[in-house]
Amino acid sequence: MGIFSKRPTAIVALMAVLVPILAACGGAPAAPEVIRETVVVVQTAEPIRETVVVAPTAEGGTPGTTGAAFTTPHPILGDPKVRQAIAYCTNRPELIQSVYSYLTPEQQEGLLMDTNLPKTHWAAASDADGIVTYPFDPEKGKALLEEAGWKLEEGETVRANADGVPLTLEFTTTNAQFRITWATVLEKQLLDNCGIQIIRKHAPASWWFGSASGLRRRDFELGAYAWVGEADPGGRTLYACDQIPLPDNNWNGQNYMGWCNQSASNAITAANNTLNRDERIENYKAFQVEFTKDMISLPLFQRLEAYGWNKALQNMKPDPTEYITANAYEWARSDNEDTIILGFTQEPDTMFTLVSSAAVQRQAAQLVEGVLTTQYNYDFQPVLQDGLSTIESGKAKNEVIEVKEGDTVWDATGAAVELKPGVELINSDGETVTYQSGTVKMNQLTVTYDLIEGITWSDGEPLKKADLELGVKIVCDPKSGNVSLTFCESHQGAEGMNVTSDTSYTITFLPGVQWPTYYLAPYGGYPSHLELSDGRKLADVPAEEWATLPEVAETPLGYGPYILKEWNKGQSLVYEANPNFVLGEPKVKNVVIQIFADTNAAVAALLTGEVDILEKATLGAGPEVETVLKAAEEGKIEARTDASPTWEHMDMNLFVR
Amino acid sequence: MTAYLIRRLFQMVIVTVLSAMLGYSLLYLAPGGPLLFLQQMQNTGRNRVSEEDIARLKARYELDLYLPVRFTRWLAGFPSGPLQVGGLNLLPPDTVVGCAIPGQVRLRYPDGTVEIREEGCERVVTLADLESRRSSRGILFGDFGLSQQIARDRPISDLLMSRLPYTLWLMGVSTLLAILIGVPIGIYSAVRQYSRFDYAMTTITFVGSSLPTLFMGVMAILIFSVLAKDAGLPYLPSGGAQAVRDYTIPWIGRVEAGSLLDRFLRFIMPVSVLTFFNIAGWSRFVRASMLEVLRQDYVRTARAKGVQERLVITKHALRNALIPFVTLLAGVLPTLVAGAAITESVFNWPGMGRLLVDALGRSDYTVAMAILFISTVLVLIGYLISDILYTVVDPRIRLT
Repeated sequence: MGIFSKRPTAIVALMAVLVPILAACGGAPAAPEVIRETVVVVQTAEPIRETVVVAPTAEGGTPGTTGAAFTTPHPILGDPKVRQAIAYCTNRPELIQSVYSYLTPEQQEGLLMDTNLPKTHWAAASDADGIVTYPFDPEKGKALLEEAGWKLEEGETVRANADGVPLTLEFTTTNAQFRITWATVLEKQLLDNCGIQIIRKHAPASWWFGSASGLRRRDFELGAYAWVGEADPGGRTLYACDQIPLPDNNWNGQNYMGWCNQSASNAITAANNTLNRDERIENYKAFQVEFTKDMISLPLFQRLEAYGWNKALQNMKPDPTEYITANAYEWARSDNEDTIILGFTQEPDTMFTLVSSAAVQRQAAQLVEGVLTTQYNYDFQPVLQDGLSTIESGKAKNEVIEVKEGDTVWDATGAAVELKPGVELINSDGETVTYQSGTVKMNQLTVTYDLIEGITWSDGEPLKKADLELGVKIVCDPKSGNVSLTFCESHQGAEGMNVTSDTSYTITFLPGVQWPTYYLAPYGGYPSHLELSDGRKLADVPAEEWATLPEVAETPLGYGPYILKEWNKGQSLVYEANPNFVLGEPKVKNVVIQIFADTNAAVAALLTGEVDILEKATLGAGPEVETVLKAAEEGKIEARTDASPTWEHMDMNLFVR
Repeated sequence: MTAYLIRRLFQMVIVTVLSAMLGYSLLYLAPGGPLLFLQQMQNTGRNRVSEEDIARLKARYELDLYLPVRFTRWLAGFPSGPLQVGGLNLLPPDTVVGCAIPGQVRLRYPDGTVEIREEGCERVVTLADLESRRSSRGILFGDFGLSQQIARDRPISDLLMSRLPYTLWLMGVSTLLAILIGVPIGIYSAVRQYSRFDYAMTTITFVGSSLPTLFMGVMAILIFSVLAKDAGLPYLPSGGAQAVRDYTIPWIGRVEAGSLLDRFLRFIMPVSVLTFFNIAGWSRFVRASMLEVLRQDYVRTARAKGVQERLVITKHALRNALIPFVTLLAGVLPTLVAGAAITESVFNWPGMGRLLVDALGRSDYTVAMAILFISTVLVLIGYLISDILYTVVDPRIRLT
């Protein structure tokens, strides 16, 4: 007792207890002193200023100017051997394991990607097509690094070149926990396996995806993010030579790597400019061969998506590229219940599809609107459209016509312009030419779209010509709130569309328009006969008012399988079966979308039977999925996981500013 | 008193406008908004978005207006076109109030490099352009405008009114219960200081005020909903204001979705968590306040004069001890309307608090600003009421 009564002794004793605790709690080894250097930007003279005429954003960007920024190859990533070495030294299965540890090895294997397209995509290339694959092979990676002059000295952990420059790269991505997890593993892999040091920079998404920062400004060396694969692969804006964002084209384009491989660029451009599926596949495959050979962007893995549903439900069709509600008219239950409840964690913002892009909105609206076509398994299938309007079916023709000065054409940048000298266009041979004078041969696409006979609005009124005319009128009116008018402009709106019957219309596109998915019916109808609460007919309401109308935004009239009866804000949307649905009245009488504050609450409701379906957007791929999968293993519910069309990848910036 | 009230009302208006200005500016600077999705999609093919499309969308959501103009249009619906008095223009109709398409300049550096930068404005927005735009009458005149994300293009007032009853009901009942339970506990603990009851209550209230409602909410769901159900015991539904389909609870039987019983069962957990949290804080406050008063000379004098202990407590001590509590209650008014964001989110309660969380999460800043604005006004009104109540509970206080 006496010993602690002496103050100095007591202080020493206290310190002896506290110091180890503090060291254990937050102590870190002393970091080496960071040398800070101030960079002075010297600008000897004022630059010359010229005003630029702002042209509409087009797919054809401005080629880089010689002497401009981003023309100096990156000292490390400019060498393809280093890029390939990074690919070989990356153990992608381990990255997948780090974030989806609860999956079986087979399921994890299913998330691996070799090219920019998922393996199940109709345009995906395989080994047989000559793509280069990069299985985890550190020995091969190390050999490539040695060849490239990056040696690992005795006792060192990081490789260096002959000048002593270390093989260190900045790796930028968002600060999402998911990415922090796998990036931590990647950092260790590259260092331990091959002596490549990456300095991780986890930035806020608002900076990384900002309109004037991060990716858009190519402010990275290695950069990770995700793209979403689609049934139509697109890709031109991501990989073509004229899509490299540069200061001298005001950062237009999404080819953030600065990659210009002319063969690849030509192939991806051709793939997007032809209507023939076989030619498209051939071009996409040629592109993927170059893409994998140059290794400018390493596909890491497809994300996971999961679904959980009540065992009593039948005919569920979860799919990576289609919403679960797309076949709601086929749903059934094996028990006596007459209601199916879907859980959402986000409330739809409106039922007026034209002004929204949210997945939850699409699903809520599909039940009422129905679907003209679906996108299962990265491809298209007709539902309310009476067959796809392909050239082979005889419903479409792609004729060669002659255009002359003064005609309106679709130019090479993808804009409707009046033909005059200097306009760049793509001729009927697929060549980009500059118009001078006289006539030019161009392709003109004319497509007839048929909807199936007997489509009836849920109030019993049949679909009419006036409804289809109202459809194109509103969609193509800039005041309606429609985000993109590109498609409308490609056939000059209502001017280029001829409604020939109550279920059929023909669109004559501008010369030069070659939409690869031309066969999909672009317009449905709006109920022109609908009388609003203020006594007006919907057809008489100006487009700018549509988004604000309760009859459009909250309780629309549709010809889909269900009728939206009630929308309790913040709680639920209540639907009942549409007896007039053209494919037959749905077997399940009621569908309810219940809104939850978070995924945890939604999963709890699924497990207690309060909810019947949690789809991919609600369930996500977080720890809740594990709970759902376990419950499925125990036989409580059905669950399924899929490789999502969203894929993580690591871009490599080939140039320095 | 009248002069005081006029002065306070004038101050309230200034504080309201200043706080609205500050809040609006902060949200203006925040990332996100209705156009964020455009930056994360492949800009290609049939859905390609042109510069013109972006300008049109910006105009729709007023993102092309300069901050002061956006703010005044949101606050007071002004300006909604050229400013005219008696047919005369106060400002030229072509006065610039925003920029639809930013200008670009090409910089040619002496070393040969070229850069294009956004600078100036290619297409301006003028006062005359505002005439053709939809415009609210301004939040000061009760028009909250249109939602940008949560209920796209629908009136915010509709959105608020759909949530308000749930919040008033939840907060009203929990506040009332907390007062009815918490104040007596505080008084009794003070009067019986260091008794077993006091120790027990002090411990419980200490725990209650230390635990965040998030934790309490999740634990309540785990215990009374998940574990109770798994154990085959009567359980409480985990969230929501009403069920979608009927369900069965042991001992109680079948509960009809949307029935009074269903709503009551779903109400129990959120209201209990909020009540417990408030009791914990308020009973400690009342206890401390009572203890301080009980040590005052006038209480000792009253006891010395032989006044009954019950009267000493209720008449002499309690009335004085409740004066600071009145100030505390002034803070309740905004929460009655703005709700309890965390509790509502945990229990999936469709109230104003959850709406605010959704609005911030989905960058619907017009909705968020509407709720913040209402809260600001209610806080100010609450303090005004508490000042007036001071004069009621303490005659020594005069408002001049």
